Amino acid sequence: MKLEELIEVIDVRMLQPGGGRGAEIARVFAGDKISALLEQAGPETMLVTNLANAQLACVAELMDCPALCLVGGAEPDSQLLEAAVRAETSVVVCGLDMFETCGRLHRRLYGDDTRQP
Amino acid sequence: MITSCFPIAGGRFEDAGIASRKLKEQLKKIGVAGQIMRRIMIAAYEAEMNVVIHAFKGNLWARFDGEQFNMEVVDEGPGIADLHLAMKPGFSTASVEAKQLGFGAGMGLPNIEKVSDLFEVYSQVGQGTRVRSTIYLKTQPVEQSAGQGLSIHEELCVGCLDCLKACPTRALRVWNGQPHILSALCIECTTCIETCRWGVFKVPVTRSGNASKESPAGAHTLVIPRALLTQFGSKIPPTATLAALISLGYKDIRFTEEWDQELRRMVSRYAAEREVHPVISPICPAVVSLVESQFPSLIPQIAPFMTPIEAAVEAWALGTASFVPACPSQHTLLKRADLSGRLRIIDPAELSARVLRQVGTQTETPVRIRKHSDRKGSGGNRDPGVLEAWGIRNVVEILEQAERGLAGDFRILELSCCENGCYGTPLFQENPYMAEKRWSASVLEPGRPLSVASIRQPRRARPGMRLDPDMCKAIEKLARIDELTTELPGRDCGVCGAPTCSSLAEDIVLERHPGLECPFSPTGGSS
Repeated sequence: MKLEELIEVIDVRMLQPGGGRGAEIARVFAGDKISALLEQAGPETMLVTNLANAQLACVAELMDCPALCLVGGAEPDSQLLEAAVRAETSVVVCGLDMFETCGRLHRRLYGDDTRQP
Repeated sequence: MITSCFPIAGGRFEDAGIASRKLKEQLKKIGVAGQIMRRIMIAAYEAEMNVVIHAFKGNLWARFDGEQFNMEVVDEGPGIADLHLAMKPGFSTASVEAKQLGFGAGMGLPNIEKVSDLFEVYSQVGQGTRVRSTIYLKTQPVEQSAGQGLSIHEELCVGCLDCLKACPTRALRVWNGQPHILSALCIECTTCIETCRWGVFKVPVTRSGNASKESPAGAHTLVIPRALLTQFGSKIPPTATLAALISLGYKDIRFTEEWDQELRRMVSRYAAEREVHPVISPICPAVVSLVESQFPSLIPQIAPFMTPIEAAVEAWALGTASFVPACPSQHTLLKRADLSGRLRIIDPAELSARVLRQVGTQTETPVRIRKHSDRKGSGGNRDPGVLEAWGIRNVVEILEQAERGLAGDFRILELSCCENGCYGTPLFQENPYMAEKRWSASVLEPGRPLSVASIRQPRRARPGMRLDPDMCKAIEKLARIDELTTELPGRDCGVCGAPTCSSLAEDIVLERHPGLECPFSPTGGSS
């Protein structure tokens, strides 16, 4: 699914377009620990997190991750946005909380099938 | 092969990740991608962040040779007091600042271990930590570089065939009157060196100058086996040898055995937590090789720590040091561990000769030997559940019993290939028991307590015994070997150059050498 189709459901602001709205997203991983994000990040994974520091962009760059979604209205520091430019990673900010965000993204990606990962 | 070094600054979160990024740039240029790149990046970033979070500064060393990727992250920092705790997922000592940034989940080391084919950590409290990760590019692990700790001087061989019979893993052959080592089978014990009266087998150590030549900055540390001090008979006591070494320019003399005690402490604790016994202590690297190649079912029973010589090497990750190996196996480990080329390896025979010359000229300066508790000495409150055994025949017998489940009454097996441990290495001349006694009778001064911890895992079976990577082909070959063996006389005389008739059959089927045949069989065994 294209990034723009996916994020339609969560009312986001795009702060950094990165690879663009057309980036392909196959799965979403949500977490607040860098180690977990690092382990799960990948070329077709969007990371959803409460964190908002520059290390997120570093993780995205190392793992070729196309998009970061910051939830809970977290405002990223300027270093994150600068690093995201270099990493060619899209950064979107979402006003919803983590639970709501993940619920909507899950439904958009997998429909009502709760067995999907 | 490329080797690179990327510096890491401790505490600077704003610069964190730079080393991993530079490494990625480099790997991309040589075509690394996909899962391998993912695993390397996870290992590199986690290791780099460990330095940023916990240490003052460090370096990320990387080596890539087309078959495997080796990474070593070395830091100067507080070290890790309890490595087992640090390896537990969820345990963290990260600062509040680090935790606010999303670090400190206690998953760093476990994640590196998860993505590594071979993973090692060494830490010394107050000094620093060293993490090493190896990732294989092929699904089959590449063969360990065994058999390289020995060099052969063919010109000295008289063809007596004594070595063929002595080698415990049947790794030797004499083809066309010349000895050969099948490196996939060699475990680098010292049996062939000890057996050969003609000096055909040697440890290939490079010649070196004196201490000041080795290190332009001046004198440095020398790490030796204790046995080296007691090699010079009754007239030259260990203290005189030590004084001679110091006058050769080494400012600090350390003994490999200092790390034995630490290993014993860790193995003892590890064995107490385990239900399956016996635990095999990795005290002798040749025994570890023997288990990896001949007793693979016992590999899970090897305690997951570094051998003392590996731990000693790790202690000088940041500086330079010279090492005197006691055997070919130690020599190989020294060569393997030295990613950044900072270690010097010194031939024991050459150093002994220099010591003798020095002893003749110097006026005796009083030197006291720093001592750590000995195996049988003052601090030796030895656990009754520990079985200590020496000599390759005993070691093989005990491992056979352990493999059959008949050694479960011992909690720990502490096995060494040489008689009386490293005192018995054939690289030294003195009788092993006289050498040890002279050591234990020498002047005593309490040694510095070491506080080190190391982990090395997992250990893998060496493919040396496998006849073919493809199991179907291996079964076919096995059948042909069996068939051929029955056609041979079964004398195991060694005249053909193989130690037994079945070894000859194996050599013929695996085409290890052209023109092999049995001189006593009507068919020559070549059907």
